[in-house]
Amino acid sequence: MATEGLQILLVEDNKSDATLTIRALKKHKLVNNITHLKDGAEALDFIFAKGAYEGRNIDDKPKVIFLDLKMPKVDGLEVLRVLKTDERTKLIPIVMMTSSKEEKDIIESHKLGVNSYVVKPVGFENFSKVIAELGFYWLFLNNTPRI
Amino acid sequence: MAKKALASKSKEKDALTAQLAKAVQELAHQNEEKEKRVQELDTVNKELAYQIAEKEQKTIELKTANEELQSFSYSVSHDLRTPLRAISGFSQVLLEDYVHQLDEEAQYFFTEIIDNTRKMGELIDNLLDYSRISQQHIVRTKIDMEALVKTLIKEHKILYPKRDINVTVGKLAEMNGDGVMIKQVFSNLISNAFKYTSKREKSKIEVGSTIDNDEVTYFIRDNGAGFDPRYYDKLFGVFQRLHGDSEFEGTGVGLAIVDKIVKKHNGKVWAEGKPDEGACFYVSFPIVNSKNKKHGN
Repeated sequence: MATEGLQILLVEDNKSDATLTIRALKKHKLVNNITHLKDGAEALDFIFAKGAYEGRNIDDKPKVIFLDLKMPKVDGLEVLRVLKTDERTKLIPIVMMTSSKEEKDIIESHKLGVNSYVVKPVGFENFSKVIAELGFYWLFLNNTPRI
Repeated sequence: MAKKALASKSKEKDALTAQLAKAVQELAHQNEEKEKRVQELDTVNKELAYQIAEKEQKTIELKTANEELQSFSYSVSHDLRTPLRAISGFSQVLLEDYVHQLDEEAQYFFTEIIDNTRKMGELIDNLLDYSRISQQHIVRTKIDMEALVKTLIKEHKILYPKRDINVTVGKLAEMNGDGVMIKQVFSNLISNAFKYTSKREKSKIEVGSTIDNDEVTYFIRDNGAGFDPRYYDKLFGVFQRLHGDSEFEGTGVGLAIVDKIVKKHNGKVWAEGKPDEGACFYVSFPIVNSKNKKHGN
């Protein structure tokens, strides 16, 4: 798999969270290639090379997707559902990142096959650490099948 | 002769007629009574139907209130945390990226901001925990209290590697209750014991239990800061604290949560303490067995 290709896809509607997440990833020199999209609809268009992303190479799949739960238009659970049921994308690791610690969200995400569910800590030190650990784990430590 | 027979028959007939009349009267009376009973039954049935309708109405209202509370809690947990994270995050960013342009005082101010957002985050979490307890159902199982307490103590000791903390755990009776909730109770009590003994050179904490016919009592004793018994009724109140934030950190919800959970289990919690002479917290639970099944919720 090409290392210059897509590495992390961050789907996050909150500007502050996105800025802080990207900063944490870059600070720990984990990635050069982070793509940030602002809602679920955009994410699906991007992955399946539709709409505004029609020309994109659909085989260039992200190594991991950091997905927020609550987003306008198409929310995280819906994106999760679509990606985990499509043969082309069901093997991409998805990390749900959210402020919600609610049981029903955790349960629903796991029912849909989420690989990891992480609650964003309020304190920034912890947040930065968590992002860095996640990045390191999913990009280097974990063995994802070649897709 | 025939006249005599006729007279006798006539007498019989009269007696029978009288009897018949009496029986008819009796029957009429019984009928009247029966009608009365039917009326009474009818009234009672109507009353019962009304009560049932009332109860159903109240149940619907309660369900609605609970659902509203759930979605309120959900909003709080999700929507309040997000801007809080931004405040904390960007303060940290400023501290890191602009450290050379910030004098000591400015750096201190940013540290204060970050600290306070952390506290607010804790407050939100604690508030949510507290509000959720009333909605939860108790799932009763047998709880190995010795194992539970020993694990909690180990976890807490790790948080204070440099302190001299002596903990004795006596033989602890088993109890019946909701594992998650009871763990919360003892976690809060043990956490307090560790926290309020933090200023002692040698901290001493003791956990034990006593048992009698119908209840089991656990106690946690410490040699810490204690509390002023004059303010005892504030001890288990929500957001009520008996020590300043600068002396000991806290949000004032820990004991309120203990109180709520213990009450849900039909138990009791109380404490003894003197300022600077340590404290002892007791929790007792009724023994639930198949003979005297007590319903808890």
